[in-house]
Amino acid sequence: MAVQGLWSGTISFSLVAIPVRLVKAIEPGHVSFHLLHSKDYSRLSRRMFCPEEKKTVPPEEIVKGYEIVPGKYILMTDEELESVSPERSRTIEIVEFIDMKEVDPIYYDHPYYLVPSKGGEKAYQLLVEVMRRTNKAGLAKFVLAEREYLVAITSGDGALALTTLHYSEEILPDEDISPKKGKIEVGEENRIKKSIGQMIEDFNPGKYADGRRQKLMDLLAAKAKEKAPVEAPEVEQEEGEGPPDLVAALEESMRKVKKNR
Amino acid sequence: MNRTFVEISGRRLPLSNLEKDLYPSYGFTKAQILEYYRGIAPFILPHLRDRALTFKRYPEGVEKDFFFEKRCPGHRPAWVKTAEIPQDDGEPMTVCLINDLETLIWAENLASLELHVPLARAGSPGTPDSMVFDLDPGDQATILDCARVALVLRDLLSRLGLATYVKTSGKKGLHVYVPLNRTETTFEDTKTFSKTVAGIMQKHYPDLVTAKMAKTERKAKVFINWSQNDASKTMVCVYSLRAREKPIVSFPLKWGELENLAGLGDPEGLQVLHSEAVSKAIKKGDLFQEMLLKEQKLPHL
Repeated sequence: MAVQGLWSGTISFSLVAIPVRLVKAIEPGHVSFHLLHSKDYSRLSRRMFCPEEKKTVPPEEIVKGYEIVPGKYILMTDEELESVSPERSRTIEIVEFIDMKEVDPIYYDHPYYLVPSKGGEKAYQLLVEVMRRTNKAGLAKFVLAEREYLVAITSGDGALALTTLHYSEEILPDEDISPKKGKIEVGEENRIKKSIGQMIEDFNPGKYADGRRQKLMDLLAAKAKEKAPVEAPEVEQEEGEGPPDLVAALEESMRKVKKNR
Repeated sequence: MNRTFVEISGRRLPLSNLEKDLYPSYGFTKAQILEYYRGIAPFILPHLRDRALTFKRYPEGVEKDFFFEKRCPGHRPAWVKTAEIPQDDGEPMTVCLINDLETLIWAENLASLELHVPLARAGSPGTPDSMVFDLDPGDQATILDCARVALVLRDLLSRLGLATYVKTSGKKGLHVYVPLNRTETTFEDTKTFSKTVAGIMQKHYPDLVTAKMAKTERKAKVFINWSQNDASKTMVCVYSLRAREKPIVSFPLKWGELENLAGLGDPEGLQVLHSEAVSKAIKKGDLFQEMLLKEQKLPHL
């Protein structure tokens, strides 16, 4: 089956409209673990806990609060939150074309691919080719999962990529980071330039791998060979178990049921 | 892909592959599936309403692979109602709610032959509005054995003052339900109660009943699956089609009807086909209506 899209709709500008699906471009190499109870290896589940009442809080008693000063909150309902969420969009409307080199990589948020849907293949190919030749990226606004994103659409190896961009207000200033300008000694500068020159290579990301992940997977494989995995208990019935009152009432009823059958 | 458009409540909906036979050994096309759900809609919709739907999709028909889909597909039309359900990892998941005919038809167009829903509504996922005993016959047991167990359960629970309702699973089993409809009830309550009942049943009918999940324990017995009383579990919705050779429906029965049918000793006699389902529902009304209304408190907890 085709890859499940995260979103589908059309990408458009002026008179062009191309049906596309959005799919993820990244499968994080993160190795995740489940939390188990060390005594019986049961999967642990999360519960919301009220420290005041010292008990688990059911979902219907949970509300959202925005902290304005420590300990003081403005309550917000789901309806209110929904009222400010943008409408889901069916189109990615390119509003301008830019030179991607002008975009500081610090703006890059999350990459996706755009896959042509049925009937859109030809127009898609054309756009990929033209954007590649002109070296331009399309800038668009687009709603995904109730948030409006600024996105850049770029042409790669025969495919369109969509990268969500951070809004400028999300970028922290770097002014305080760079130290006061001092005089740069010519000798120093040349020495650094030379060192860099000696280390220049073509970018080849395939050379590098997440070493910890590989070691972790090897370790897991070795451990799996060495020893059988621990098993979570099946939730089983112990005979005669249950609240004593209920057991007694059921035994009494059962006696009568059997007598009448 | 062959496309047809329908308009329901002013909403235009594309339907695809209507001529595709999804029950090949019986002969039942997607068009007929949509027709079934359109006919049964007045009866099934109240039971689907506001519940996080689990799609069980059979894009290539009942003889081929299926897949479960809990997350509401991203390609859904904007008017499909959704809810956010908290998950183990704390990240909420968007699920579909089938609250109207157009959403039902949309879901069926995705070949979601079986519709599964939790015992709680999406707005109060920790509050089961019913308790269920999922009676599942082992390899050498039949739906008739399930009927015997169901009838004992009915009598046992009625002595504790609890009214029960029964439906066929549409496969080999029966589902006995106890409507609760009280905001105070928790899954911990229904699980403790049903587990205790299953234990007592096993103790008194050791040759007929097991309360144990292990397959080897089940062979010629009926497994009372009490563990379905859990926020993370779903049950096939009443009036949903099932994916087996024939388009059989999970259908509610009157207790007297179950007694009579079981007395005839024909396991197939307990199965309700799609065509029969719609006409029976129209004639008898919704036998599961009380599931949505009746308030009952679990005693002795």
